Amino acid sequence: MDIRFPKSLLIIALSLVAIGVLALALSGVFTSFSRWIVSPLTSVQTWVSQQYQGVENFVSASQDIREIRQQNTELEAENARMQAQIVELQQQLVEFEILSALLEFARANPEHQYIGASVIGRDPSPFLNYIIINRGSDDGLRRGMPVVTQNGLAGRVVQVTATGARVSLITDPITRINVRVEPSRSAAVLTGSITGDITLEQIPQDDEINPGNLILTSGLGGNYPANIIVGQITSVRSRENALFQSASVQPVTDFSDLSIVLVITNFEPVDFSPLVPESGTP
Amino acid sequence: MSTILSIPTLGLIAIMQSAVVSRLPLNRGIADLMLVVLIAIALQKTVTTSWQWSIVGGLFMDFLSGLPFGIFTISYLLATGLALIIRERIWRFSFLMQLLVVFFGTMVSQLLSFLVLFLQGSDISLGTVLQVVTLPSIMLNFMISLPIFILTQDVLEQVTPQE
Repeated sequence: MDIRFPKSLLIIALSLVAIGVLALALSGVFTSFSRWIVSPLTSVQTWVSQQYQGVENFVSASQDIREIRQQNTELEAENARMQAQIVELQQQLVEFEILSALLEFARANPEHQYIGASVIGRDPSPFLNYIIINRGSDDGLRRGMPVVTQNGLAGRVVQVTATGARVSLITDPITRINVRVEPSRSAAVLTGSITGDITLEQIPQDDEINPGNLILTSGLGGNYPANIIVGQITSVRSRENALFQSASVQPVTDFSDLSIVLVITNFEPVDFSPLVPESGTP
Repeated sequence: MSTILSIPTLGLIAIMQSAVVSRLPLNRGIADLMLVVLIAIALQKTVTTSWQWSIVGGLFMDFLSGLPFGIFTISYLLATGLALIIRERIWRFSFLMQLLVVFFGTMVSQLLSFLVLFLQGSDISLGTVLQVVTLPSIMLNFMISLPIFILTQDVLEQVTPQE
């Protein structure tokens, strides 16, 4: 037997069922049921989502790593450039400070004319305290010209070529400089040594000299101009029976770190050799 | 090894000695880069121009130094002679031989310089020279001997045709 409901009745019945289900759902009757169904789905969805994100990250990360590496390379190169620039600027600052001090020295001693020179080397023999500078006869340098730094006396030119010169420092063993001690104005002779120390010799016993006294060139002998600071007395050695006192001197110039010097060009060393009597001459 | 090659090579070493090595003292002693290089070259069995190299190196150093002309050339020739004697007498050469020649070469070079300066009237004593100049110089020469010995061997292997 075929029972057929009218279409309108079927629609009404289905609507009532749907409203009923909705009412039940809204009233919370289906909550526990829906949790039982949904929670496994959520778990599965979460796992699938995580895997997808992992794959997505892997694909996108390789591109990010490439960009980061490129950025890192660029930053490292820039860092190296900056470091080199810092070193260069520090070097320029040191040179500027030295040149300022040299200019100050030249202004304080306007009676002399100067030529600045860079120290380009040292004597290859450890027995000689010589430096080599980058100015020579082409620049007007002559043998015997005194060499100073911003602090005081450094030495004198002993050999000149067209573009360079060799300077004997005051610490050299062959150095003999006539000096005077201030404030006592005692005359003495300054000598260098193989150890690099400089010593005052031939100071008369009666003269009062003390540690801290200044040593200046006296101008005697004609090898150096007068009144250039050489150093300071650090200790005095005096024996009762000796004719002279002697003293150790701390030079004002740091000879281990010479980079720029000034050559006094308007000083003519006096040549006494014609006045020295030859052997056999009465 | 060509003598012509010695001019640029030893010229560069002389400049390095004056501009760099001489500014790195130990007490008052400084390393003698030229001496160590010439000894390392002279001790190589394949080199036949050691004397020429010593003369060129000595002349460069004599031009650069304020010491009486010829001191460096004579010192280097003596050191080369010693190196060649050892090279001929000892069948199997080792790095210790290099140190031995460097020791005697430095001693000869410095004592010759001392003698000449002493005769010229410099107020220097042998005891002080040995203490503050010679022994530190020997130490420094020993320190640079190994790298220079290895470098010289490698360079000579490259430039000298093998049998």
